[in-house]
Amino acid sequence: MDIDLSAEDLAFQAEVQEFLDGNAYKPGEDYNAWRMGWFAAAREKGGWDVPKWPTAFGGPGWTPTQHYIWQKETATRATPWDMPFGTVMLAPMLMQYGSKDQQERFLPDIRSRKVNWCQGYSEPGAGSDLANLKTKAELTDDGKHYIVNGTKIWTTAAHIADWMFCLTRTDDSGRKQEGITFLLFPMNQEGVEVKPIITLGGAHSVNMVHITDVKVPVEDRVGEENKGWAVAKGLLQHERTGIAGISNSIVALEKLKDKARSVTRGNGSLMDDPGFRTKIAALEIDLMATEFTELRSLAAASAGTAPGPESSILKLKGTDIQQRTAKLTTEAGGLFAAAWGGKTAGPSFAREGMASYLASRAYTIYGGASEVQRDVIAKNVLGIKRSGK
Amino acid sequence: MNFDLTEEQQLIVDSVTRFVSENYGLEQRQEYIKEKGGFSRAHWQTMAELGWFGMPFSEADGGFGGDQVDTMLIMEQFGKGMVLEPFVPSVVLGGGAVKRGGSEALKSAILPGVQDGSLQLTLAYAEAQSHFDLNDVVTTAQADGDDYLLNGVKCMVANAETASHFVVSARTSGGQMDTNGITLLLVPADAEGVSMRNFPTVDGLRASEITFDGTRVSKDNVLGAVNEGYDILQAVALDGILALCAEAVGAMEMLYKDTIEYTQERVQFDHPLSDFQVLQHRMVDMFMEYEQCKSLLFRATMEVAASGVAAARTVHALKHLIGKQSIFVGESAVQLHGGMGMTEELRIGHFFKRLLVIDAQFGNADYHLHKFAA
Repeated sequence: MDIDLSAEDLAFQAEVQEFLDGNAYKPGEDYNAWRMGWFAAAREKGGWDVPKWPTAFGGPGWTPTQHYIWQKETATRATPWDMPFGTVMLAPMLMQYGSKDQQERFLPDIRSRKVNWCQGYSEPGAGSDLANLKTKAELTDDGKHYIVNGTKIWTTAAHIADWMFCLTRTDDSGRKQEGITFLLFPMNQEGVEVKPIITLGGAHSVNMVHITDVKVPVEDRVGEENKGWAVAKGLLQHERTGIAGISNSIVALEKLKDKARSVTRGNGSLMDDPGFRTKIAALEIDLMATEFTELRSLAAASAGTAPGPESSILKLKGTDIQQRTAKLTTEAGGLFAAAWGGKTAGPSFAREGMASYLASRAYTIYGGASEVQRDVIAKNVLGIKRSGK
Repeated sequence: MNFDLTEEQQLIVDSVTRFVSENYGLEQRQEYIKEKGGFSRAHWQTMAELGWFGMPFSEADGGFGGDQVDTMLIMEQFGKGMVLEPFVPSVVLGGGAVKRGGSEALKSAILPGVQDGSLQLTLAYAEAQSHFDLNDVVTTAQADGDDYLLNGVKCMVANAETASHFVVSARTSGGQMDTNGITLLLVPADAEGVSMRNFPTVDGLRASEITFDGTRVSKDNVLGAVNEGYDILQAVALDGILALCAEAVGAMEMLYKDTIEYTQERVQFDHPLSDFQVLQHRMVDMFMEYEQCKSLLFRATMEVAASGVAAARTVHALKHLIGKQSIFVGESAVQLHGGMGMTEELRIGHFFKRLLVIDAQFGNADYHLHKFAA
């Protein structure tokens, strides 16, 4: 057990820094061209565009320490925007459950970021109780297509996505976890209608998606019919890795400290206020612990053992930290936290902070609400069985 | 960077685990408490023979050349049984000061005895006014020929009653709070002018108040340089904090696991208590805080092993988190055990009391939060 970076790790770190600096965005450059070029260059490095992919599919095969270094370095340097739906969530499922044909058709465009994906999971009647989903997929008489009808909600990025991976119901005669089928279809077609939902922070990131008579070839079903729940759950497990957002939180906390130092209090700054300072300190301590909980989890994963019990808590702790950071940012804004909209009043971080804080309330709702996470940990990790009474 | 144990470390963990499970049931422990000095002499000897006391000493000092990680592995297992033998006071604190500051002559006179169990050391640093500040020292040591004359009162000294020597912090120059001007002295317990008042602590362990009244100590017994004892004291305190936090993590694991077991057996309202979601969620929180404390324990221990006092800030973070969350876990365990949690019959109450004592040693949760934020 030791914390030192080996000579190889230090060399890797230098290589990462060199790559990130060498490929940084230059002012005036076409953003999208830079973005696509960045991922292509990362790929040339030997799979740096898909750090978590297995080597068999072109991933880099990093050690936990290398992942840790990558996270740290990318958090403090500008990297192109990216969505988790394709590379992080769908791709591992295609590798595990997809046909050879599906892997060949979908993985290259996921990898290059040419095609954006969205996740058709939640429905108006199926939130935390996801298995209650009702979107219907019926096989046509010739057995070649499914006809899909239903409504998805809270679909992040549906308005910019090219494809959706979608949970549908193909059988409602048994347990509700049975009879679910995992389908893929393009968004740009008649029968797919995306309606924006504006959330508390004023942002448009989630949507309602109405699906009417959408025809999906059976070749675009992942896994067997009625066995989609295993795929759905497996995908959520992949969502869990990295969900704690540790590196971003480390950067956000440093920024928060800078902001607090810029806010005057009498002769000093807000960071001289003992109450505020100890709240920051307690937050930083939780973050330091969570960072190592994630490292322990990565180490267990790379040793090939099942994710240890520590990994189950990453979402709960990580989102708590993100929300507290956002809340403290609004507190640092003081009276200007109440100002809303463009350049109205006070420092920009106060207005942006409030919007981020409001948006952050969703973190403990999506991807398994915190209360559901605790139910899951009680059952699967602590082994508490309901008596059935 | 890695979290793997070496083969030797795994052997140590296995052997300590076996020792604790065979010898540290609650009833056995409560019997050892009645022995002189509040621990088992036989176990003390066994531990020495198994080589555990040699772990944190260099090979040159007759030890196995281990570091804080090895101590952590031992202490985490000790925490699961609330082991009473004064491993921390003697090996980690007293031995830690001698190995860092002792002359070659002093080291060869003392360290073999620490490792074979024939000597038992302890660290006398706290004073009535000092709260948790290591630098707040009014006990004085005045040069007198080849000796120092020691005057003052040291408080809450762990296992002093059975100690052969005390490592004492004393002021040789400077003002009450100055880090400069503190000198560490190794004082034989049977020296003239030493008097002790011994008492139990709430967790069943033993502590003493020691009065030094013109106690004569040879200059050969100075640890480190005169006036510069604070650096050693600080390094030793960090080791002590790490060891106690490892013990706390072991105790927290027992508390959350005992609580899960109990709530599955105890039936109320026609249901096992564990059927109730509000209790499940509390137990999940206990588990999570245990894992978080363990993560930060690993981090702080590895950082100190790699870079010493430069990692002090992480140790502040750890002692804060352990203080806050171990008491949350202890209080929750008592709460979820209901009336039974209030009795001395179950071990959970004993773990809880041990954790309260750990929080009150080397700075509590609040103290270290402020140190961290400073």
